[in-house]
Amino acid sequence: MDAQHFISSGIIELYMAGIATEEEVRELEAAIVQFPAVATEVESYRHSMEEYIRMQGLNPATDVKASLFNKINNEPNLQEGSPVPGQNLQQPKVVSMQEQETKSLSWKWIATAAAVLLVGSLVLNYVFFNRYKEFREYKDKYQSLLVSQNSILSKSNLYKTRLEQMQESMEIIQDPHVLKVPLPGTKPFPEALATVFWNPQSQQVYLKVNKLPEPAADKQYQLWAIVDGKPVDMGVFEMGDTASLLQKMKVIGKAQMFAVTLEKKGGALSPTMEQMYVAGKIPG
Amino acid sequence: MEHTATYTEAELVQGLKARDQKVFGYLYDHYSPALYGVIVKVLNDNSSAGDVLQDVFLKIWRYLDSYDERKGRLFTWMLNIARNTAIDILRSKSHKLDQKIQNITDAVHSINGPLAVHQSTDYVGFSRILEKLTKEQRTLIDLAYYKGCTQEEISRVLDIPLGTVKTRMRNAIIQLRTILNK
Repeated sequence: MDAQHFISSGIIELYMAGIATEEEVRELEAAIVQFPAVATEVESYRHSMEEYIRMQGLNPATDVKASLFNKINNEPNLQEGSPVPGQNLQQPKVVSMQEQETKSLSWKWIATAAAVLLVGSLVLNYVFFNRYKEFREYKDKYQSLLVSQNSILSKSNLYKTRLEQMQESMEIIQDPHVLKVPLPGTKPFPEALATVFWNPQSQQVYLKVNKLPEPAADKQYQLWAIVDGKPVDMGVFEMGDTASLLQKMKVIGKAQMFAVTLEKKGGALSPTMEQMYVAGKIPG
Repeated sequence: MEHTATYTEAELVQGLKARDQKVFGYLYDHYSPALYGVIVKVLNDNSSAGDVLQDVFLKIWRYLDSYDERKGRLFTWMLNIARNTAIDILRSKSHKLDQKIQNITDAVHSINGPLAVHQSTDYVGFSRILEKLTKEQRTLIDLAYYKGCTQEEISRVLDIPLGTVKTRMRNAIIQLRTILNK
Protein backbone atom coordinates (compact mmCIF):
# COMPACT_ATOMS: atom_id res chain seq x y z
CA MET A 1 0.00 0.00 0.00
CA ASP A 2 1.46 3.38 -0.92
CA ALA A 3 0.97 6.57 1.09
CA GLN A 4 -2.01 7.81 -0.84
CA HIS A 5 -3.78 4.50 -0.64
CA PHE A 6 -3.17 4.40 3.05
CA ILE A 7 -4.49 7.92 3.56
CA SER A 8 -7.71 7.10 1.73
CA SER A 9 -8.14 3.72 3.43
CA GLY A 10 -9.90 5.28 6.42
CA ILE A 11 -7.61 3.70 8.97
CA ILE A 12 -6.26 7.07 10.12
CA GLU A 13 -9.75 8.33 10.93
CA LEU A 14 -10.62 5.18 12.87
CA TYR A 15 -7.27 5.41 14.65
CA MET A 16 -8.03 8.98 15.65
CA ALA A 17 -11.42 8.01 17.04
CA GLY A 18 -9.68 5.26 18.99
CA ILE A 19 -11.52 2.39 17.35
CA ALA A 20 -8.87 1.04 14.98
CA THR A 21 -8.11 -2.64 15.52
CA GLU A 22 -4.72 -3.65 16.90
CA GLU A 23 -3.64 -4.79 13.45
CA GLU A 24 -4.66 -1.47 11.90
CA VAL A 25 -2.76 0.38 14.62
CA ARG A 26 0.37 -1.63 13.82
CA GLU A 27 -0.05 -0.99 10.08
CA LEU A 28 -0.51 2.72 10.70
CA GLU A 29 2.53 2.96 12.95
CA ALA A 30 4.60 1.27 10.27
CA ALA A 31 3.19 3.61 7.60
CA ILE A 32 3.97 6.71 9.70
CA VAL A 33 7.62 5.64 9.82
CA GLN A 34 7.65 4.71 6.14
CA PHE A 35 5.71 7.59 4.54
CA PRO A 36 6.15 11.22 5.63
CA ALA A 37 2.84 12.05 3.89
CA VAL A 38 1.02 9.62 6.18
CA ALA A 39 2.76 11.11 9.21
CA THR A 40 1.67 14.61 8.15
CA GLU A 41 -1.90 13.43 7.62
CA VAL A 42 -1.96 11.76 11.04
CA GLU A 43 -0.64 14.94 12.66
CA SER A 44 -3.31 17.01 10.92
CA TYR A 45 -6.06 14.73 12.20
CA ARG A 46 -4.47 14.60 15.62
CA HIS A 47 -4.44 18.36 15.76
CA SER A 48 -8.15 18.63 14.99
CA MET A 49 -9.00 15.84 17.42
CA GLU A 50 -6.97 17.45 20.18
CA GLU A 51 -8.53 20.79 19.43
CA TYR A 52 -11.95 19.22 19.73
CA ILE A 53 -10.95 17.78 23.10
CA ARG A 54 -9.26 20.97 24.29
CA MET A 55 -12.35 23.01 23.44
CA GLN A 56 -14.35 20.85 25.77
CA GLY A 57 -11.96 21.66 28.59
CA LEU A 58 -13.34 22.42 32.03
CA ASN A 59 -11.71 24.26 34.90
CA PRO A 60 -11.10 21.94 37.84
CA ALA A 61 -11.71 23.07 41.41
CA THR A 62 -8.86 25.23 42.68
CA ASP A 63 -7.97 22.97 45.63
CA VAL A 64 -6.88 20.14 43.29
CA LYS A 65 -3.62 21.89 42.43
CA ALA A 66 -2.74 22.59 46.06
CA SER A 67 -3.48 18.99 47.00
CA LEU A 68 -1.39 17.75 44.05
CA PHE A 69 1.67 19.78 45.06
CA ASN A 70 1.20 18.80 48.66
CA LYS A 71 1.38 15.15 47.60
CA ILE A 72 4.42 15.65 45.41
CA ASN A 73 6.31 17.38 48.23
CA ASN A 74 5.34 14.98 50.97
CA GLU A 75 5.65 11.62 49.31
CA PRO A 76 9.32 10.66 49.08
CA ASN A 77 8.76 8.21 46.26
CA LEU A 78 7.44 11.03 44.11
CA GLN A 79 10.55 13.17 44.58
CA GLU A 80 12.53 11.14 42.13
CA GLY A 81 11.65 9.33 38.98
CA SER A 82 9.93 6.08 39.80
CA PRO A 83 10.37 2.99 37.69
CA VAL A 84 8.65 3.18 34.35
CA PRO A 85 5.43 1.20 34.27
CA GLY A 86 5.04 -1.60 31.79
CA GLN A 87 2.29 0.08 29.84
CA ASN A 88 3.23 2.27 26.94
CA LEU A 89 1.77 5.68 27.66
CA GLN A 90 2.99 7.06 24.38
CA GLN A 91 0.23 5.63 22.23
CA PRO A 92 -3.51 5.66 22.63
CA LYS A 93 -4.67 2.42 24.07
CA VAL A 94 -7.14 0.36 22.14
CA VAL A 95 -9.25 -0.74 25.05
CA SER A 96 -11.82 -3.32 24.29
CA MET A 97 -14.34 -4.66 26.77
CA GLN A 98 -12.68 -8.05 26.67
CA GLU A 99 -9.25 -6.61 27.34
CA GLN A 100 -10.64 -4.55 30.13
CA GLU A 101 -12.21 -7.55 31.70
CA THR A 102 -8.90 -9.34 31.81
CA LYS A 103 -7.46 -6.27 33.49
CA SER A 104 -9.78 -6.31 36.45
CA LEU A 105 -8.34 -9.61 37.45
CA SER A 106 -8.53 -9.13 41.17
CA TRP A 107 -12.18 -10.08 41.64
CA LYS A 108 -11.97 -12.66 38.91
CA TRP A 109 -9.10 -14.31 40.70
CA ILE A 110 -11.05 -14.20 43.90
CA ALA A 111 -14.06 -15.68 42.15
CA THR A 112 -11.89 -18.36 40.54
CA ALA A 113 -10.22 -19.12 43.86
CA ALA A 114 -13.62 -19.28 45.53
CA ALA A 115 -14.91 -21.61 42.82
CA VAL A 116 -11.84 -23.82 43.18
CA LEU A 117 -12.28 -23.90 46.94
CA LEU A 118 -15.95 -24.70 46.53
CA VAL A 119 -15.18 -27.55 44.15
CA GLY A 120 -12.48 -28.77 46.53
CA SER A 121 -14.88 -28.61 49.39
CA LEU A 122 -17.51 -30.49 47.39
CA VAL A 123 -14.99 -33.18 46.51
CA LEU A 124 -13.95 -33.49 50.14
CA ASN A 125 -17.60 -33.56 51.17
CA TYR A 126 -18.16 -36.34 48.74
CA VAL A 127 -15.10 -38.26 49.92
CA PHE A 128 -15.92 -37.85 53.57
CA PHE A 129 -19.57 -38.60 53.06
CA ASN A 130 -18.58 -41.82 51.31
CA ARG A 131 -16.25 -42.65 54.15
CA TYR A 132 -19.03 -41.91 56.56
CA LYS A 133 -21.35 -44.18 54.59
CA GLU A 134 -18.67 -46.88 54.57
CA PHE A 135 -18.19 -46.37 58.25
CA ARG A 136 -21.92 -46.74 58.80
CA GLU A 137 -21.93 -49.90 56.72
CA TYR A 138 -19.06 -51.24 58.77
CA LYS A 139 -20.81 -50.25 61.93
CA ASP A 140 -23.93 -52.12 60.86
CA LYS A 141 -21.84 -55.10 59.84
CA TYR A 142 -19.98 -54.94 63.12
CA GLN A 143 -23.22 -54.90 65.05
CA SER A 144 -24.70 -57.79 63.11
CA LEU A 145 -21.44 -59.65 63.60
CA LEU A 146 -21.67 -58.95 67.30
CA VAL A 147 -25.21 -60.30 67.34
CA SER A 148 -24.30 -63.39 65.38
CA GLN A 149 -21.25 -63.89 67.55
CA ASN A 150 -23.47 -63.74 70.60
CA SER A 151 -25.88 -66.20 69.12
CA ILE A 152 -23.00 -68.46 68.11
CA LEU A 153 -21.65 -68.14 71.61
CA SER A 154 -24.97 -69.03 73.19
CA LYS A 155 -25.40 -71.88 70.74
CA SER A 156 -21.93 -73.02 71.49
CA ASN A 157 -22.80 -72.91 75.20
CA LEU A 158 -25.86 -74.96 74.44
CA TYR A 159 -23.79 -77.46 72.51
CA LYS A 160 -21.28 -77.51 75.30
CA THR A 161 -24.03 -78.30 77.80
CA ARG A 162 -25.43 -80.93 75.48
CA LEU A 163 -22.00 -82.37 75.00
CA GLU A 164 -21.47 -82.50 78.76
CA GLN A 165 -24.83 -84.15 79.18
CA MET A 166 -23.95 -86.63 76.47
CA GLN A 167 -20.60 -87.32 78.06
CA GLU A 168 -22.37 -87.83 81.37
CA SER A 169 -24.79 -90.20 79.69
CA MET A 170 -21.93 -92.02 78.02
CA GLU A 171 -20.12 -92.41 81.33
CA ILE A 172 -23.26 -93.82 82.89
CA ILE A 173 -23.82 -96.25 80.07
CA GLN A 174 -20.17 -97.25 79.85
CA ASP A 175 -19.99 -98.11 83.55
CA PRO A 176 -19.47 -101.93 83.54
CA HIS A 177 -21.78 -102.33 86.56
CA VAL A 178 -24.72 -100.74 84.73
CA LEU A 179 -27.40 -103.03 83.45
CA LYS A 180 -29.25 -102.10 80.29
CA VAL A 181 -32.91 -102.99 80.55
CA PRO A 182 -34.89 -102.59 77.31
CA LEU A 183 -38.58 -101.84 77.86
CA PRO A 184 -40.50 -102.85 74.72
CA GLY A 185 -44.02 -101.70 74.02
CA THR A 186 -46.97 -103.48 75.55
CA LYS A 187 -49.75 -104.98 73.53
CA PRO A 188 -51.88 -101.78 73.24
CA PHE A 189 -48.76 -99.68 72.39
CA PRO A 190 -46.51 -101.92 70.29
CA GLU A 191 -44.58 -98.99 68.84
CA ALA A 192 -43.47 -97.62 72.20
CA LEU A 193 -39.91 -98.20 73.46
CA ALA A 194 -37.81 -97.11 76.44
CA THR A 195 -34.54 -98.21 78.07
CA VAL A 196 -33.57 -98.24 81.75
CA PHE A 197 -29.93 -98.12 82.83
CA TRP A 198 -29.60 -99.44 86.33
CA ASN A 199 -26.53 -99.69 88.49
CA PRO A 200 -27.41 -102.14 91.24
CA GLN A 201 -24.25 -101.22 93.16
CA SER A 202 -24.86 -97.48 93.33
CA GLN A 203 -28.63 -98.08 93.04
CA GLN A 204 -28.77 -95.30 90.41
CA VAL A 205 -31.50 -95.56 87.80
CA TYR A 206 -31.53 -93.68 84.45
CA LEU A 207 -34.26 -93.67 81.87
CA LYS A 208 -33.88 -93.14 78.15
CA VAL A 209 -37.06 -92.56 76.16
CA ASN A 210 -36.62 -94.20 72.75
CA LYS A 211 -40.15 -93.76 71.55
CA LEU A 212 -43.18 -92.61 73.44
CA PRO A 213 -46.12 -90.54 72.20
CA GLU A 214 -46.21 -86.94 73.47
CA PRO A 215 -48.72 -86.94 76.39
CA ALA A 216 -51.62 -84.50 76.91
CA ALA A 217 -50.82 -81.40 78.89
CA ASP A 218 -52.34 -82.72 82.11
CA LYS A 219 -50.66 -86.13 81.87
CA GLN A 220 -47.20 -87.38 82.66
CA TYR A 221 -45.36 -90.65 82.24
CA GLN A 222 -44.29 -92.41 85.43
CA LEU A 223 -41.62 -95.09 85.88
CA TRP A 224 -42.25 -98.02 88.12
CA ALA A 225 -39.98 -100.73 89.47
CA ILE A 226 -41.57 -104.08 90.19
CA VAL A 227 -40.01 -105.43 93.37
CA ASP A 228 -41.21 -108.86 94.40
CA GLY A 229 -44.44 -108.38 92.42
CA LYS A 230 -45.20 -104.94 93.86
CA PRO A 231 -44.89 -101.64 91.97
CA VAL A 232 -42.52 -99.07 93.47
CA ASP A 233 -42.71 -95.43 92.30
CA MET A 234 -39.54 -94.37 90.52
CA GLY A 235 -40.77 -90.85 89.68
CA VAL A 236 -42.29 -89.00 86.75
CA PHE A 237 -40.17 -87.84 83.82
CA GLU A 238 -40.18 -85.13 81.20
CA MET A 239 -40.83 -85.52 77.54
CA GLY A 240 -39.95 -83.09 74.72
CA ASP A 241 -36.26 -82.15 74.30
CA THR A 242 -35.31 -83.65 77.63
CA ALA A 243 -36.54 -87.04 76.44
CA SER A 244 -33.47 -87.45 74.21
CA LEU A 245 -31.23 -87.51 77.27
CA LEU A 246 -30.79 -89.95 80.08
CA GLN A 247 -33.04 -88.86 82.93
CA LYS A 248 -32.04 -89.62 86.47
CA MET A 249 -34.79 -91.41 88.35
CA LYS A 250 -35.18 -92.43 92.00
CA VAL A 251 -32.70 -94.93 93.44
CA ILE A 252 -33.51 -98.58 94.03
CA GLY A 253 -31.36 -101.50 95.15
CA LYS A 254 -33.53 -104.35 94.09
CA ALA A 255 -35.96 -104.90 91.21
CA GLN A 256 -37.08 -107.58 88.78
CA MET A 257 -38.82 -105.40 86.25
CA PHE A 258 -39.42 -101.81 85.10
CA ALA A 259 -42.54 -100.36 83.55
CA VAL A 260 -43.87 -96.96 82.40
CA THR A 261 -47.49 -95.90 82.75
CA LEU A 262 -49.26 -92.72 81.76
CA GLU A 263 -50.64 -90.98 84.82
CA LYS A 264 -52.08 -87.62 85.80
CA LYS A 265 -49.54 -84.82 86.10
CA GLY A 266 -47.27 -85.26 89.11
CA GLY A 267 -47.70 -89.00 89.19
CA ALA A 268 -49.92 -91.50 90.94
CA LEU A 269 -49.53 -93.66 94.03
CA SER A 270 -50.19 -96.83 92.11
CA PRO A 271 -49.87 -97.53 88.42
CA THR A 272 -52.85 -97.56 86.09
CA MET A 273 -52.38 -100.92 84.43
CA GLU A 274 -54.47 -100.06 81.35
CA GLN A 275 -52.13 -97.20 80.63
CA MET A 276 -48.94 -99.23 80.75
CA TYR A 277 -46.95 -98.28 77.64
CA VAL A 278 -43.71 -100.21 78.07
CA ALA A 279 -42.41 -102.89 80.43
CA GLY A 280 -39.26 -105.02 80.54
CA LYS A 281 -37.70 -107.60 82.76
CA ILE A 282 -34.21 -107.24 84.08
CA PRO A 283 -32.08 -109.80 82.33
CA GLY A 284 -30.45 -112.55 84.30
CA MET B 1 -3.31 32.58 35.43
CA GLU B 2 -0.47 33.55 37.73
CA HIS B 3 2.48 32.37 35.69
CA THR B 4 4.41 34.90 33.72
CA ALA B 5 6.86 32.74 31.82
CA THR B 6 5.90 30.77 28.75
CA TYR B 7 7.80 27.70 27.70
CA THR B 8 8.32 25.95 24.44
CA GLU B 9 7.45 22.28 24.53
CA ALA B 10 11.12 21.29 24.55
CA GLU B 11 11.74 23.60 27.54
CA LEU B 12 8.72 22.17 29.28
CA VAL B 13 9.92 18.60 28.86
CA GLN B 14 13.43 19.51 29.96
CA GLY B 15 12.16 21.29 33.06
CA LEU B 16 9.78 18.50 33.96
CA LYS B 17 12.45 15.83 33.61
CA ALA B 18 14.58 17.94 35.94
CA ARG B 19 11.66 17.83 38.45
CA ASP B 20 11.22 21.58 38.33
CA GLN B 21 8.05 22.26 40.31
CA LYS B 22 7.63 25.71 38.78
CA VAL B 23 7.50 24.11 35.34
CA PHE B 24 5.12 21.47 36.64
CA GLY B 25 2.89 24.26 38.00
CA TYR B 26 2.89 25.87 34.57
CA LEU B 27 2.02 22.51 33.02
CA TYR B 28 -0.88 22.14 35.41
CA ASP B 29 -2.23 25.62 34.79
CA HIS B 30 -1.89 25.19 31.07
CA TYR B 31 -3.23 21.70 30.57
CA SER B 32 -5.47 20.83 33.52
CA PRO B 33 -8.69 22.18 31.88
CA ALA B 34 -8.24 19.96 28.83
CA LEU B 35 -7.38 16.89 30.91
CA TYR B 36 -10.14 17.63 33.41
CA GLY B 37 -12.60 17.99 30.53
CA VAL B 38 -11.62 14.53 29.26
CA ILE B 39 -12.00 13.00 32.73
CA VAL B 40 -15.41 14.58 33.32
CA LYS B 41 -16.63 13.55 29.87
CA VAL B 42 -15.43 9.97 30.35
CA LEU B 43 -16.73 9.53 33.89
CA ASN B 44 -19.70 11.87 33.56
CA ASP B 45 -19.20 12.47 37.25
CA ASN B 46 -17.94 15.74 38.74
CA SER B 47 -17.52 14.41 42.26
CA SER B 48 -14.62 12.02 41.59
CA ALA B 49 -13.14 13.86 38.59
CA GLY B 50 -10.96 16.11 40.80
CA ASP B 51 -9.32 13.11 42.47
CA VAL B 52 -8.80 11.46 39.09
CA LEU B 53 -7.22 14.64 37.73
CA GLN B 54 -4.81 14.66 40.66
CA ASP B 55 -3.99 11.00 39.94
CA VAL B 56 -3.36 11.82 36.30
CA PHE B 57 -0.92 14.62 37.17
CA LEU B 58 0.81 12.36 39.70
CA LYS B 59 1.25 9.79 36.94
CA ILE B 60 2.64 12.48 34.63
CA TRP B 61 5.10 13.54 37.35
CA ARG B 62 6.07 9.96 38.11
CA TYR B 63 6.36 8.61 34.58
CA LEU B 64 7.91 11.64 32.86
CA ASP B 65 11.09 9.70 32.19
CA SER B 66 9.17 7.29 29.98
CA TYR B 67 7.91 10.15 27.79
CA ASP B 68 9.70 10.15 24.45
CA GLU B 69 9.34 13.42 22.52
CA ARG B 70 10.28 11.67 19.28
CA LYS B 71 7.09 9.61 19.48
CA GLY B 72 4.63 12.45 19.93
CA ARG B 73 3.79 15.72 21.57
CA LEU B 74 3.64 16.09 25.34
CA PHE B 75 -0.03 17.08 25.13
CA THR B 76 -0.86 13.90 23.19
CA TRP B 77 0.98 11.85 25.80
CA MET B 78 -0.86 13.55 28.67
CA LEU B 79 -4.25 13.24 26.96
CA ASN B 80 -3.63 9.51 26.58
CA ILE B 81 -2.81 9.20 30.27
CA ALA B 82 -5.95 11.12 31.24
CA ARG B 83 -8.19 9.18 28.85
CA ASN B 84 -6.77 5.76 29.75
CA THR B 85 -6.92 6.45 33.49
CA ALA B 86 -10.50 7.67 33.31
CA ILE B 87 -11.65 4.85 31.01
CA ASP B 88 -10.01 2.31 33.34
CA ILE B 89 -12.05 3.76 36.19
CA LEU B 90 -15.20 3.81 34.05
CA ARG B 91 -14.69 0.18 33.10
CA SER B 92 -13.95 -0.91 36.65
CA LYS B 93 -17.10 0.86 37.81
CA SER B 94 -19.44 -0.64 35.26
CA HIS B 95 -18.82 -3.43 32.85
CA LYS B 96 -22.28 -3.18 31.49
CA LEU B 97 -22.82 -1.67 28.12
CA ASP B 98 -26.24 -0.42 29.17
CA GLN B 99 -24.69 1.77 31.77
CA LYS B 100 -22.31 3.15 29.22
CA ILE B 101 -25.17 4.07 26.93
CA GLN B 102 -26.80 5.82 29.84
CA ASN B 103 -23.55 7.64 30.53
CA ILE B 104 -23.10 8.84 26.98
CA THR B 105 -26.71 9.95 26.73
CA ASP B 106 -26.31 11.88 29.96
CA ALA B 107 -23.05 13.33 28.72
CA VAL B 108 -24.67 14.62 25.55
CA HIS B 109 -27.49 16.17 27.54
CA SER B 110 -25.30 17.70 30.19
CA ILE B 111 -23.43 19.95 27.76
CA ASN B 112 -25.73 22.82 28.60
CA GLY B 113 -26.24 21.62 32.14
CA PRO B 114 -24.39 22.39 35.37
CA LEU B 115 -21.01 21.71 33.79
CA ALA B 116 -21.33 24.84 31.72
CA VAL B 117 -20.42 26.84 34.82
CA HIS B 118 -16.87 25.52 34.71
CA GLN B 119 -16.55 25.68 30.97
CA SER B 120 -13.19 27.05 29.93
CA THR B 121 -12.73 29.89 27.53
CA ASP B 122 -13.20 28.06 24.27
CA TYR B 123 -16.86 27.35 24.82
CA VAL B 124 -17.86 29.79 22.09
CA GLY B 125 -15.52 28.07 19.65
CA PHE B 126 -16.90 24.76 20.71
CA SER B 127 -20.52 25.72 20.01
CA ARG B 128 -19.39 26.70 16.54
CA ILE B 129 -18.15 23.13 16.03
CA LEU B 130 -21.30 21.64 17.48
CA GLU B 131 -23.36 23.44 14.90
CA LYS B 132 -21.45 21.79 12.12
CA LEU B 133 -21.46 18.27 13.46
CA THR B 134 -24.63 16.24 13.44
CA LYS B 135 -25.80 14.87 16.76
CA GLU B 136 -24.97 11.38 15.51
CA GLN B 137 -21.46 12.40 14.52
CA ARG B 138 -20.87 13.79 18.01
CA THR B 139 -22.28 10.67 19.62
CA LEU B 140 -20.05 8.50 17.44
CA ILE B 141 -16.92 10.45 18.34
CA ASP B 142 -17.83 10.65 22.02
CA LEU B 143 -18.60 6.91 22.30
CA ALA B 144 -15.29 6.04 20.70
CA TYR B 145 -13.06 8.63 22.29
CA TYR B 146 -14.60 9.31 25.67
CA LYS B 147 -16.18 5.95 26.43
CA GLY B 148 -13.52 3.81 24.80
CA CYS B 149 -16.09 1.78 22.88
CA THR B 150 -14.92 -0.61 20.17
CA GLN B 151 -16.52 -0.66 16.69
CA GLU B 152 -18.60 -3.67 17.75
CA GLU B 153 -19.81 -1.93 20.88
CA ILE B 154 -20.79 1.21 18.98
CA SER B 155 -22.61 -0.97 16.45
CA ARG B 156 -24.58 -2.55 19.28
CA VAL B 157 -25.24 0.68 21.18
CA LEU B 158 -26.45 2.63 18.17
CA ASP B 159 -27.96 -0.43 16.49
CA ILE B 160 -26.26 0.18 13.14
CA PRO B 161 -24.19 -2.31 11.10
CA LEU B 162 -20.45 -2.52 11.71
CA GLY B 163 -19.64 -1.29 8.19
CA THR B 164 -21.88 1.72 8.67
CA VAL B 165 -20.12 2.52 11.96
CA LYS B 166 -16.80 2.69 10.11
CA THR B 167 -18.16 4.83 7.25
CA ARG B 168 -19.98 7.27 9.49
CA MET B 169 -17.11 7.50 11.96
CA ARG B 170 -14.75 8.27 9.12
CA ASN B 171 -17.04 11.02 7.87
CA ALA B 172 -17.37 12.44 11.38
CA ILE B 173 -13.60 12.65 11.85
CA ILE B 174 -13.12 14.15 8.39
CA GLN B 175 -15.85 16.69 9.14
CA LEU B 176 -14.18 17.52 12.44
CA ARG B 177 -10.89 18.18 10.68
CA THR B 178 -12.59 20.29 8.05
CA ILE B 179 -14.18 22.49 10.73
CA LEU B 180 -11.13 22.84 12.93
CA ASN B 181 -8.30 23.09 10.43
CA LYS B 182 -9.82 26.00 8.54
